Amino acid sequence: MEVIKDRGIRYGRWFADQWVNNLLFSTGIILLVMLVLQTQALGFNYDSFGDWFTAWIRNLTNVLRNNSGIGIIALGMTFVIISGGIDLAVGSSLVAVGAAIMLLLDTGPSGILGLVGITGFPAYVVAIVLGAGVGLVLGEFTGLLITKGKIPPFIATLGTMQLFRSVTQHFMQGYNPAVPRGFLPLASFRIGNLMLMPIIYWIIIAVIMYIVATRTVFGRQVYAIGSNERTARLSGINVNRVKRRVYVLMGVLVSFSAIIQVARIGSMDYANAGAGYELDAIAAVIVGGTSFSGGKGSMIGTVLGVMIIAVMNNLLNLWGVPPFLREAFKGAIVIAAVLMQRKEKEI
Amino acid sequence: MKLEMLNIVKSFGANDVLKDVDFNLSGGEVVALLGENGAGKSTLMNILGGVVKEDSGRILIDGKEMRFVKPLDSLDAGIGFIHQDLNLIDDLAVYENMFINRELKSKYGFLDIETMCEKSAEIFQRMDVKIDPKTMVRELDASYKQIVEIARALMMEAQIIIMDEPTTSLTAPEIKRVFAMMETLKEQGVGMVFISHKLKEVLEICDRYCVLRDGDLVAEGDVKDVTVNDLAKHMVGHEVRTDMLQRDRKYGKEVLRGENLTLQHCFKNIDFAVQEGEVLGFTGLLGDGRSELFRTVFGCNKEYRGKIFLENNKVRVKDTKQALNLGIGYLPRNRKENGIIGDMNILENGTVVIWPRLVKNWLINRTLQREEFQSKVEDLRIKLEKDTDRIGSLSGGNQQKVVLAKWLSANPKVLILDNPTQGVDVGAKEDIYDIILDLADAGMAVIVLSSEAQEIIRVCDRALVMYHGEIKGQVSGDAMTEENIMLLATGGQTKEMGEIDHGSN
Repeated sequence: MEVIKDRGIRYGRWFADQWVNNLLFSTGIILLVMLVLQTQALGFNYDSFGDWFTAWIRNLTNVLRNNSGIGIIALGMTFVIISGGIDLAVGSSLVAVGAAIMLLLDTGPSGILGLVGITGFPAYVVAIVLGAGVGLVLGEFTGLLITKGKIPPFIATLGTMQLFRSVTQHFMQGYNPAVPRGFLPLASFRIGNLMLMPIIYWIIIAVIMYIVATRTVFGRQVYAIGSNERTARLSGINVNRVKRRVYVLMGVLVSFSAIIQVARIGSMDYANAGAGYELDAIAAVIVGGTSFSGGKGSMIGTVLGVMIIAVMNNLLNLWGVPPFLREAFKGAIVIAAVLMQRKEKEI
Repeated sequence: MKLEMLNIVKSFGANDVLKDVDFNLSGGEVVALLGENGAGKSTLMNILGGVVKEDSGRILIDGKEMRFVKPLDSLDAGIGFIHQDLNLIDDLAVYENMFINRELKSKYGFLDIETMCEKSAEIFQRMDVKIDPKTMVRELDASYKQIVEIARALMMEAQIIIMDEPTTSLTAPEIKRVFAMMETLKEQGVGMVFISHKLKEVLEICDRYCVLRDGDLVAEGDVKDVTVNDLAKHMVGHEVRTDMLQRDRKYGKEVLRGENLTLQHCFKNIDFAVQEGEVLGFTGLLGDGRSELFRTVFGCNKEYRGKIFLENNKVRVKDTKQALNLGIGYLPRNRKENGIIGDMNILENGTVVIWPRLVKNWLINRTLQREEFQSKVEDLRIKLEKDTDRIGSLSGGNQQKVVLAKWLSANPKVLILDNPTQGVDVGAKEDIYDIILDLADAGMAVIVLSSEAQEIIRVCDRALVMYHGEIKGQVSGDAMTEENIMLLATGGQTKEMGEIDHGSN
């Protein structure tokens, strides 16, 4: 009896220790609990195990697919926040890049690629590359404002947030481009009756970003700058260049997200698309344990953070919580995540 | 007032920090608390200040047993703790800092500025210093900030004041000012604990000393019976060297030369040159411009005028990365702010400057990184458990060696060391001196910046002395004495320097 009790205490202590000190552990557990709750909410009222399993998978892939766009943006946001910055303009950049792709691909008389005689598969490739290029330029612009212009990131991106969306809306008004059908399988291609492509892109990008963050010079320099910018500069790191690249990377990831969104929906609402993405992405990064003051954080944490918020929304939906109240839960989980981080710091 | 700490024991985990230590202090005396970093000084004082709780032991004040659970308890008992990094708010006036959290209000609930200023002025008068309570703290020099902190403690009727390395960031005349004030307080019956690494100051201002080593009280007595060497010996547990360490070396070709370097408000018309195998010193008082000068050489201020030559090629250094690639290394002062990256581990801190060189197939090669760092760990005798531990888990001396390691792995042609032994204990200090000399023997050009004349004399072959941004003179050989350096560093007019008064504007 004593032995069992002792062992219980030992496991309890290990758990408490992990919970406080290992953020991936605690976020992982939270996600697991939510998945269990989600399973329970879906119920077991099916004809066979196969039916139940199909329904379960379908629900989960729907949740993940709907959040893969945010998921990709959140990966870039993780870098931005680790570097000690913030980017409020991701939603607006998404619209700008989306508009550019639509203009290029339009099947109507004014589609740019159609006018120069590029159609079909080559057109898709060109559109994707140029779309990513637009994101890159927007990111570089933001980066220059922050480094050369010495504008605090919050202010600089508050400005570009309005600038990008407003300019896009102005030039796109009264113009309704149609995306060629051949472009859509990029997102809607089915694997075994499931639309997995956006999730696959998200996973691939997450793996790449994880490696960039942990193993490359650029990635480690971002952490160094976020933790102690002065030491980083005095260690021969070109701080401005690294920071600029962080925003360029953010811009490129936003473009990927825009490309997927265009392929998924086939159109874009320039007034509302991407609205609130910046806050959703920041929330996911924070829930994933990245420190808002920079220098600390992880890509895995961010992926878990996105999934926690996504599964939670789904759960609230399944439980029939009124839509207006759902946002409150999102707010609460962000606050709870930060409270947990503070606990970790004190030790 | 008489304070006694009896049989104090404290351990953090398996680490016994204090093993049955006694400490006592009476009103009107200054007791030096000495020891290397990690000897237990801070823990002992943190227990007294109510910051940490002792495992066992008793604290008596005037024979009455006290229990300090939080800092406020200790403050209520009349103990004021002046931390090393001062707790003043730069953007508030002196009187606002004095009354922070205990603001006086008039009967309508507004702040009673007049009374607060009067009370502050009273305290300053008692301490025999002139500070206008309405001055912004930002405008005060470091010594006056120290004095304001002490004044704040006195206002709360502190009878015992703990000062944790109060003179580290002060210049010579500022130190004098703080000491004069300490004498005044002593006469008024205030007891003070003086924690310092500067043993000469201990002899100057303290009445008694206590030396801690590895959590034991190893020596105590009257200061008048001992010398600096005795104290240092107690601290490290063996003899320490104080002699000049220069060795005869053949100099190679010139590595770095500055001609007519000028940066507005910082330094002007600086000429210097350093050769392979030479240890060149730069010294002066705080604010003499030497740090700014060498930061500029390292690429931190691209607006400079004048010429920099590296191995006789004229270069224009625009940023730190370029400086690094040119073969200039710079170990900055203030390790915590400029030297280490707190969120990263020891290994990463020790290799940050050579990351680009460690890349294989786009990634930082971990094996290479570890090999590179491990060889430095051995060369510099860095004491660590795992290289994946946080940098903050190391002692000050070992942290400094890690910072040094990162620069040595970059293999610079000229290495600039700004206050290399700041916040480092005696043992590590000696190690660092040895490292500097070994580097010079191996043909590296080394520039040492320090405000401690003793340090310059010990390791440098010759030294340039700066005053208000200009080079006042050069000392070398037998002429390299503390007196000569001091004379040049104070602009040859010692009296004038002592009376710069920032308090009464």
